[in-house]
Amino acid sequence: MPPRQKLGVAPATFQGLVFALKKYWSEQGCVILEPYDMEMGAGTFHPATFLRAVGPEPWSAAYVQPSRRPTDGRYGENPFRLQHYYQFQVVIKPSPDDIVEKYLGSLRALGFDPLTHDIRLVEDNWESPTLGAWGLGWEIWLNGMEITQFTYFQQVGGLDCRPVMGEITYGLERLAMYLQGVESIFDLTWTDGPLGRVTYGDVYHQNEVEQSKYNFEIADVAELFHQFDAQERECQRLLEAGLPLPAYERMLRSSHTFNLLDARRAISVTERQRYILRVRTLARAVTEAYYKTREALGFPMLGGATT
Amino acid sequence: MKKRDFLIEIGTEELPPKSLPELSRAFTDGIVRGLDAASLAHGPVVAYATPRRLAARVSRLAESQPEQQIRRKGPPVMAAFDANGEPTRAATAFAESCGTTPDQLGRVEEPKGAFLFYEGRRAGQATLALLPGIVQESLDKLPIAKRMRWGSGSVEFVRPVHWVVMLFGHDVVDCSLLGLPAGDSTRGHRFHSSRPIKVSPATYERRLETAGHVVASFAERRQRIQRGVLDLAASLGGDAVMSESLLDEVTALVEWPVPVAGRFEDRFLELPPEVVIATVQDHQRYFPVRDPDGKLTPWFITVSNIESRDPAQVRAGNERVVRPRLADAAFFWETDRKQPLAAQRKALADVTFQKQLGSLLAKSDRVASLAERVAEVAGSDSALARRAADLAKCDLMTAMVGEFPELQGLMGRYYATHDGEHEEVAAALEEQYRPRFAGDRLPETGAGTALAIADKLDTIVGIFAAGQKPTGAKDPFGLRRAALGVLRTVVEKRIDIDLQSLIDAALVAVRADMQAAAAERAPQKDSNTVVATGSFPQLSGPDPVAAEIYEYIMERLRAYYVEGGLGVTTEMFDAVLARRPASPLDFDARLRALADFLSLPDAASLAAANKRIANILRKSEQDVPARVDASLLQHTAEHRLATEVEGLREDVESLLAARRYEAALRKLATLRPHVDAFFDGVMVMADNPAVRANRLALLAALSRLFGETADLSRLPG
Repeated sequence: MPPRQKLGVAPATFQGLVFALKKYWSEQGCVILEPYDMEMGAGTFHPATFLRAVGPEPWSAAYVQPSRRPTDGRYGENPFRLQHYYQFQVVIKPSPDDIVEKYLGSLRALGFDPLTHDIRLVEDNWESPTLGAWGLGWEIWLNGMEITQFTYFQQVGGLDCRPVMGEITYGLERLAMYLQGVESIFDLTWTDGPLGRVTYGDVYHQNEVEQSKYNFEIADVAELFHQFDAQERECQRLLEAGLPLPAYERMLRSSHTFNLLDARRAISVTERQRYILRVRTLARAVTEAYYKTREALGFPMLGGATT
Repeated sequence: MKKRDFLIEIGTEELPPKSLPELSRAFTDGIVRGLDAASLAHGPVVAYATPRRLAARVSRLAESQPEQQIRRKGPPVMAAFDANGEPTRAATAFAESCGTTPDQLGRVEEPKGAFLFYEGRRAGQATLALLPGIVQESLDKLPIAKRMRWGSGSVEFVRPVHWVVMLFGHDVVDCSLLGLPAGDSTRGHRFHSSRPIKVSPATYERRLETAGHVVASFAERRQRIQRGVLDLAASLGGDAVMSESLLDEVTALVEWPVPVAGRFEDRFLELPPEVVIATVQDHQRYFPVRDPDGKLTPWFITVSNIESRDPAQVRAGNERVVRPRLADAAFFWETDRKQPLAAQRKALADVTFQKQLGSLLAKSDRVASLAERVAEVAGSDSALARRAADLAKCDLMTAMVGEFPELQGLMGRYYATHDGEHEEVAAALEEQYRPRFAGDRLPETGAGTALAIADKLDTIVGIFAAGQKPTGAKDPFGLRRAALGVLRTVVEKRIDIDLQSLIDAALVAVRADMQAAAAERAPQKDSNTVVATGSFPQLSGPDPVAAEIYEYIMERLRAYYVEGGLGVTTEMFDAVLARRPASPLDFDARLRALADFLSLPDAASLAAANKRIANILRKSEQDVPARVDASLLQHTAEHRLATEVEGLREDVESLLAARRYEAALRKLATLRPHVDAFFDGVMVMADNPAVRANRLALLAALSRLFGETADLSRLPG
């Protein structure tokens, strides 16, 4: 059992929460990355998770990922729902024996004493039809509130994960609301320093209003359909050119385009399945191509051991 | 024989709560089966299950097997020795595997020839050596929906495994399971205990509780939770709503249960109580609390997994979670009621019921026509049935049902009531899904009954027509349950409905919608084809799909009676089925009459006589006159039987016409002495062809009367 993490001081600001998590996971040995600079629905889509889950190479990383879910927009009027929010993502591969302990250590670092707060691991299995990926794990409850998703990846892009990557996804806004005791996301203190207090609402409220309007009302459906097709073609062309990483970005785009079309209610129930299948086909092809390129490089992160 | 207690514990990360009881049962049963198969005597077996462990303790397990009697058949003698009489490889290999030499082997004679045979005794093996295999086999056979891997290993289990305890008395069983060496130390509660805890089979449960803060027994924990929650509710002046399944789930989520009460704002009590319960119970796994009058209170009870240093924080945290959820529900309740339920109907056009069958709106329209028809037959108000059917699926489009799918139907009722719809229409919206499970209540109102029957029948007919009928265990549309639901409803509510014609009507409507849906999917093709949207021709002639559906529903009816503990055998069912009763209700009446008949002392003899008559008539190969000619009756017994049959005929026929099958069969049963006397004294196949034909006519008349209710010749005996 690892030495028990010392109880930390609860971060008082949103950015303080991010700093604390980065510091903790940095101390555990993770590569601290910055967000991927493209629209995506969750931290799982970041190549540092999705593609690194493929193949035999070890990997560990932690990063914040802005996540966009167009259908979740509420024009800034709902205190709990956003179309753009933040996930804090941690991945370790192979998942260490004490990965749950390590995760619980992060809660201690945030000032949650597990003998004061009721922390529970409740079965919640994850499946992404668009990514052809699934895993088993839990949602983590803190006094009945879901604060984290914990998943042992079993398959990604249709390939078995060997070794298995462990994925930890914190919902930052929820956690911050709990820490700060506020009833609306927009009331979260983002920072409160010498230059004054800035709230989450100051930073993002207008964005929620405008993006919701764009997602639900303004987005050009015909153009989005056109873009979906174009990205799909480009993705396939890049795969033929042996460039899985640029191809992956085209797949990310097509996935986000699909989400926008969904928000515009431009895709019927029957068509929906077909679009999901198209994205999944891309995801599978990219996964396989990525595996091959890593293999061609001799799986460099195995550190000399070639098996 | 020496005996010791045996303990096995698999320590894991948190197991899925809903499958924990089943996993525990299967694990323990598997071990017991293994011990029994190995002839290892043992005392009682206790199962333990918590979120982080599966364990079992076997009391007084024998230290070794009894001496084993071995009997093994080897290769054929023909193949065991070569031309020189020397043993072949087959013979020496078999002898070796028995631990002997070929010349020591015996022979066994079988119809297929002679075989080498070994008979011997082997000392029983030590239990210590057998246990790893027995436990491994039980683990391999666990009903795990999805096994997982973790880390770099290739071991698969429900969740990652962290320790294995395996003790036979005080000895660790030397083996490795699920990639880990067995030991003698367990772990306690995730937070209340930090060091490994050394145990023995005798101290396991107690040590875990005192040193580990773990109540290892599922049953014991369940009982403590139940008591704790009820006590806490009582201290709040109420009574906890505790469903068995939630109690099981909560028990599977904690190792050290500590009930905590929380409270939500009173204003949420204005919501329908089912909505509050769905939020609190199904989404949060809390127990709601009612007051002594049965009304919901703003209290709920959650069961935490720790003895918190500050329970107020646990309480406040849980209250924080439930508030936004209830606020969401309240928002849906407000929004949904801003427009009438009927206004949701047009949106049903955009929702696919099933690809080939078109939209939910199309289904709703089909069901409405069918429900009207059912209501007419059942003698209820068909206008109410149609109105209910028109509104039936509208609540699926509301925000509330979108969030709480389990409230479908019920929300329809609330919203229809709010809109001032007829009380019976509103009730029908809730009743349409009944019966939802075995033993569930049936619909009560006329409109609800018609709607429930029509909705289910349309689904059955539609899915069959779309070529998606259930196969094997696969029944994604729940057609078995739907068919049984229709049958229970018509039989138990005594609705005399002609199933075949109802299936035909439903099929005509389904086929029309399938054509429309196909045309809509490919409008550009076949532009010459006129897409008819109006009336479609009635089915002409028997439709193979209709026949298949009828058969399917009859098979469900068979299950209803034969497996329903009603004392109906499959032969009895077949005897009635042979008469193709038009309605399940008629079927029911015939089956009951048959059961009554078979309970009479005369039944066995009469059933045998009917079988004999059926055989005679089948073999006679001659025309049988329609009527009995009295002048041709010769024998006294023959005369007597003819007179008795003629004397009963009119009465029996009118009873049959009135479907008073029981009375008809009872009347016929009085013929027994005359039938017996006839067969004792009369030779049916007389030489005189006219006399013979006349006797056959008499038997045919008798058989017709008996056989009208059910084909008695199909009964055994």
